[in-house]
Amino acid sequence: MSSLMRPKLAAIVTAYFKYSHAQHIVDRLLDGYGWNGTHHYPPMDLVSLYVDQTGSNDLSRERASRHSGMKIYPTIAEALTAGGSKLAVDGVVIVGEHGNYQRNEKGQTKYPRYEFFEQVVKVFRDSGRSVPAFSDKHLSWNWEWARKMYDTSREMGFSFMAGSSLPVTWRTPSVEMPLGAHIGEALCLCYGGVDSYDFHGLETVQCMVERRRGGETGVEWIQAYRGDKFWEALRQGVWPKPLMDAALCRSHTLVPARAGFNHVFPAVEDMRRLVRDPVAYRYQHADGLKCTVLLMNGLVRDFNFAAYVNGRSEPWSTQLYLPMPDGRTTLADFFSPQVNHCETMYLSGKAAYPLERTLLTTGLTAAGVESLFRGQTRYLTPHLAIRYQPTKESTFWRT
Amino acid sequence: MLTRRSFLQTTTLAAAAPASQPKRIAIVATVYRLLSHAQHMGDRFLVGYPYGGVWHKPDMKVVSLYVDQKPAGDLSGDRAREFGFQVYPTVAEALRCGGKELAVDAVLIVAEHGNYPRNEKGQTLYPRYEFFEQCIQVFEQGGRAVPVYNDKHLSYSFEKAKAMVDASRRLRFPMLAGSSLPVTWRLPAIDLPLGCKIEEALMVGEGGSDAMDFHALEGMQCMVERRSGGETGVKAVQLLEGDAVWKAGDEGRYSKALLTSALSRSDTPLGLTVEDGRTQDLVASGQLRVLAKNPAAYFIEYRDGLKAAMLMLDGAIKDFNFAARLSGVQQIQSTQFLLTPEPNVTYSACLMHKVEQLIESGAAPYPVDRTLLVSGMLESCLTSKLQDHLRLETPHLNVAYQAPRQSQFAQA
Repeated sequence: MSSLMRPKLAAIVTAYFKYSHAQHIVDRLLDGYGWNGTHHYPPMDLVSLYVDQTGSNDLSRERASRHSGMKIYPTIAEALTAGGSKLAVDGVVIVGEHGNYQRNEKGQTKYPRYEFFEQVVKVFRDSGRSVPAFSDKHLSWNWEWARKMYDTSREMGFSFMAGSSLPVTWRTPSVEMPLGAHIGEALCLCYGGVDSYDFHGLETVQCMVERRRGGETGVEWIQAYRGDKFWEALRQGVWPKPLMDAALCRSHTLVPARAGFNHVFPAVEDMRRLVRDPVAYRYQHADGLKCTVLLMNGLVRDFNFAAYVNGRSEPWSTQLYLPMPDGRTTLADFFSPQVNHCETMYLSGKAAYPLERTLLTTGLTAAGVESLFRGQTRYLTPHLAIRYQPTKESTFWRT
Repeated sequence: MLTRRSFLQTTTLAAAAPASQPKRIAIVATVYRLLSHAQHMGDRFLVGYPYGGVWHKPDMKVVSLYVDQKPAGDLSGDRAREFGFQVYPTVAEALRCGGKELAVDAVLIVAEHGNYPRNEKGQTLYPRYEFFEQCIQVFEQGGRAVPVYNDKHLSYSFEKAKAMVDASRRLRFPMLAGSSLPVTWRLPAIDLPLGCKIEEALMVGEGGSDAMDFHALEGMQCMVERRSGGETGVKAVQLLEGDAVWKAGDEGRYSKALLTSALSRSDTPLGLTVEDGRTQDLVASGQLRVLAKNPAAYFIEYRDGLKAAMLMLDGAIKDFNFAARLSGVQQIQSTQFLLTPEPNVTYSACLMHKVEQLIESGAAPYPVDRTLLVSGMLESCLTSKLQDHLRLETPHLNVAYQAPRQSQFAQA
């Protein structure tokens, strides 16, 4: 590809309906988005699309009708080869989120991210050429498959990015964890379900703590707490209550604990009343750092981070702000920085942030689910001995 | 009325609360019910609020409340019982806590919401000036004045607003007023550099007149006041509506690049985005004109030559965004003023933190002249609307002031 040419992209998605991840991501590549104070049109062309499920709410055909340069293909291989015999694109976008896929007995939705990825790399292999790829959210619900995806990308030597939009969205306040900081403990207080938003909470924590002194060292064990065990753990101080309090003070969506009030700080009894099914994942990194993700549906609807940093007794905290289209906004603009980082990768051939982060959070998500499945017992994670260094530059949205 | 000299003499004699005791606050409100400004602002001093990552409890005590109206859902009695203060039947009694002398260290006037008539310009006649005047009487009779915060614009009338600011100068008490837009979070977290040269500025907002247009104008003003030379006042205003707004754009009275830039900061485009989630370049696609069926443009010509425009685009977006072109800077500066969701409306916590600073330090963190000027701009714009959208000279808006050196929006 000449540097003067516009890269051609293929998007491989599960489903394309209003407010699905595919719609958010692919639409931004097709129709542009607000970026750096203008409406930015990506300097690249999305030429082929594969959609695994097209129900009555499908938008892919409407999009194809408005964007004549984009063709819909019936298979992944055809999308990547544009109907020919060899790889015909310069970058791949995989969005395996949303759509009707089976859940297993552990509650994991079996989105076919690994299966999509395998079909993509088959085309790479058959063509004797690989191009940069992005895969939305965690790599796979299945740890072994996620590891294989990572290893394959390394063996074949193509740039591969993945993960949540949480690490790259706005923050209120707009602050970054200092590189090389000493972190005593870290916590994310957020909302959502298991094998779903827990991944976003884990990425929230990981994009911060990976910047600590020495970089990432991997995780040794994880333990989940749910329902009564959650409340008992809170009572026993399994995680620091002051970090929880600081995180609550960063929320813009704290459900009022008292009728007639719009914003009051909740006591533990209030939380017990408001949160029916709380879930905590507590885990320890190889260098001893302990982290906690709290899913507290009914209490907040945002992602708040707090940590003890550089020996200070007052928590360091911020909110990773998602303008969520559930009445608050109409656009899920947290996808904009994610798509912009992808564009940078398709243009430069280099990933904007380490895939190891998402490999680790993928493993943590599966391990958290495993701990829940095994009766909320501590689950050892020798397979998560993943070491890496963060980017020096911040990659969250500031401009 | 006391002369200034005798007032100052008595001021020095009057007893203020001992320094070690919490400052005593009187709240003077139109209504106190859930999600009224008085409730979400007043409650911050009762139950605290988040600031800087902690739940902050002001070292202050609400000791009295006056509410002008008690509609269904009135909370004033409940709050008084729970937090140990009195609701008084008059403003003067609230300030004197039922005694003979001023008995508080600060007054919050929150006159937003409640049933009040509108005038022919569409302005709701909230009794801010009237409440303020009653406070002034107590100050003058007691020979002591205390800091006053006045929520939103000073008054629907510039003349009354001016009288309020003049009184604060005459009696030498610090005064703060205005909207929460200038102090809330911004996306991105930028301010215009102090002393910058602004070529043109534009604000977009929604929500109609006269309520949300005030917020939008003050959001714009807190940005442009940072220009070289500081604020000089406003020479003329004009309000256009309907197709005339688009025609003015076509004629270059506001920049489409700035409009595109401001809209690029919006998280709430309507129309096709609501229909199927898609992103939109509203200006280039022409959808802006389709969606904003009754647009209004508030044109502000400043005395130093700067021209700014504020567009109310109901039907097209639902947030507040600013853009400006600076001399010698290639990229347009733009940001969204983040109005965080109900019920927390954390932007009001940002504003009450400024009020707390006012009460604690005895100095306003930013000049009340900003709100005075915006109160006058808004009134004159609405007069233009009533007078066939004529351009109106505004010699009375010769309000000059300097912006605070420190940025005042939420960053911590």
